[in-house]
Amino acid sequence: MRQWMQTFALATRDYFHEWQISVCFVLALAAVLGPMMVLFGLKFGIVGSMIDELREDPAKREIRPVGSGRYDGAWIERLARRRDVAFVVPRVRSIAATLEVASDRAARILPLEVIPSAEGDPLLPPGTAVPEGFDRVVLSASAARKLQVGVGDGLTGSLVRRYQGRKERVHLPLTVVGVVPARVFGRDALFASVALNEALEDFRDGHAVPALGWEGSPPGRRTYTGFRLYARSIYDVAGLEAAFERRGIEVRTQSADIATVQRMDQTLSAIYWAIALIGLAGFSLSLGASLWANVDRKRRELSVLRLVGFRTGDIVWFPLVQSLYTALLGWALAVAIYRAAAWGINLMLAPQLDAAQQVCRLLPEHYAVALGLTLGASVLAAILAGLRAARVEPSEGLREL
Amino acid sequence: MSHAPATEPAPPIYELKNVVKTRASEGYGFRLRVPSLRIHPGEKIALIGESGCGKSTLLDMLAFVLQPTRCERFVFRVDETDQDIAGAWKRRRQNRLAALRRRHLGYVMQTGGLLPYLTVRENIDLSRRILGMKDDGTVDKLARELGLDRHLKKYPADLSTGERQRVAIGRALAHRPAIVIADEPTASVDPFAAERIMALFMEMVEERNITVIVASHAWRHIKQLGLRRLAHHTRRSKDGRMAETVVSG
Repeated sequence: MRQWMQTFALATRDYFHEWQISVCFVLALAAVLGPMMVLFGLKFGIVGSMIDELREDPAKREIRPVGSGRYDGAWIERLARRRDVAFVVPRVRSIAATLEVASDRAARILPLEVIPSAEGDPLLPPGTAVPEGFDRVVLSASAARKLQVGVGDGLTGSLVRRYQGRKERVHLPLTVVGVVPARVFGRDALFASVALNEALEDFRDGHAVPALGWEGSPPGRRTYTGFRLYARSIYDVAGLEAAFERRGIEVRTQSADIATVQRMDQTLSAIYWAIALIGLAGFSLSLGASLWANVDRKRRELSVLRLVGFRTGDIVWFPLVQSLYTALLGWALAVAIYRAAAWGINLMLAPQLDAAQQVCRLLPEHYAVALGLTLGASVLAAILAGLRAARVEPSEGLREL
Repeated sequence: MSHAPATEPAPPIYELKNVVKTRASEGYGFRLRVPSLRIHPGEKIALIGESGCGKSTLLDMLAFVLQPTRCERFVFRVDETDQDIAGAWKRRRQNRLAALRRRHLGYVMQTGGLLPYLTVRENIDLSRRILGMKDDGTVDKLARELGLDRHLKKYPADLSTGERQRVAIGRALAHRPAIVIADEPTASVDPFAAERIMALFMEMVEERNITVIVASHAWRHIKQLGLRRLAHHTRRSKDGRMAETVVSG
């Protein structure tokens, strides 16, 4: 232990005594590692923000059937149980899914598109209450603005049907429980439970809705004309699209956009890895060569240490300790280079970006990986070089000058 | 002060029998043969000869840093214990040999062998430090004797060759070894300084009752220091490709 400490102390003394050469080693390392980090930061930042954008925008995950079909409730439920489906609710006929809405504050009556919604609807931002029952509804931001209402306010919905030759109007008291922001949904709309959607369709079809006290003929077997479906992730969209098309259901998705970004990610990744591999090879070679040369250069001094009585095993530590210094300092310098470059790049491109977006970005774990790689490569090179130094007979290095 | 082996009651500190080191390179061969060598505690041994005759080879073997090619008996006796050096080499017990070097040996090389990143004081103290010896004034006393007091804080690069050799002598003596081996300690110094350094060195080892083995190419200036000269002769084959040196004493 004492000898180990002394080897450590001596290696440290030597490393800082020869600071000019140590600085060269550190610079050589940082000159390879720094640009690699910038490169990875760019790749990670650009592709990362594109993918984040895709992920965060629920519209990219939406799968919409084209035209109208006939789907029964059981089929929709089976869809909901699929692992790649995040959210699905049935839609009623679009002609039936409207409601005229009035508020106490706004003078005019607003015709609103009614959208079926439920727990887990990706269009409802986190924290927004879910439309429930026949009265609790969520408005789109534009509808809320036009009706001059907010969360907690009351509304009156009304709808008309021609039933048994008479024009019949019913009123429906509603409460606003949430508002969907404009960037998520731009049109005037009212998000309501599936039950309310079905009630609107039933009423218009002349059927009775006992829960609301609306009279009419008894309802028949229910089918839906469409559905609102969101895939679990953007990566599930293509698979779901194919599954629907196999069943003859034509759907519209954003899969083309997604594929473009994925292709770009793959291309950029391939380019990055090609450069990174070349860089890593160059990095390992430069580090290995300099450590190897260093052990060669120090052979005489290492022989002197052995002559004075240092154990062979302790001698291996000498180049190892020094290469760890080079690795640590080189990595720190590379991080500094990267930070400066990233700051410059992000500043330059800031006008084109959202506030939170960064073109050049690394996560803490990326720094750790860079450090780990550097330490690993230098320990490996140093151990190889050190073992070579230790294998030489102690007398051999003594008389070299 | 030289001791005649016949009247010396103490057993030898080194006992070598039929120790051979062979070296070959580019068609030229060299062999050092030691049929029998006994060195007793407190003896001062001189090994005189031109460079290339095998002096350093013998010294390195005596310092346990060079493995003999063949070896019938190689015993190092210290603290009343026989250390089987031949066996240690055979069993590759390098750490055992390093421990013996650390504890019992001082080595002065032809050119310093100082560590450039340590000050003069730290260089002298190195042999003590790896043994965990506390600072008891030994280093300062040595430095005074060697005329190095003014240089203790300097680095070897700031010293003259003679001063560096004196630092090397200090390092070889600082941990009070049983043996000091010196390989042409004054070869790189001018003759006048060489004589002074050699005289000082011999005085210091004598004072400390240390066994000393010195190699030198010039007998002239160490003759008067009272050393026992090891007998050796070198033979060359007719084509000059093979040289053999035989040392005994």
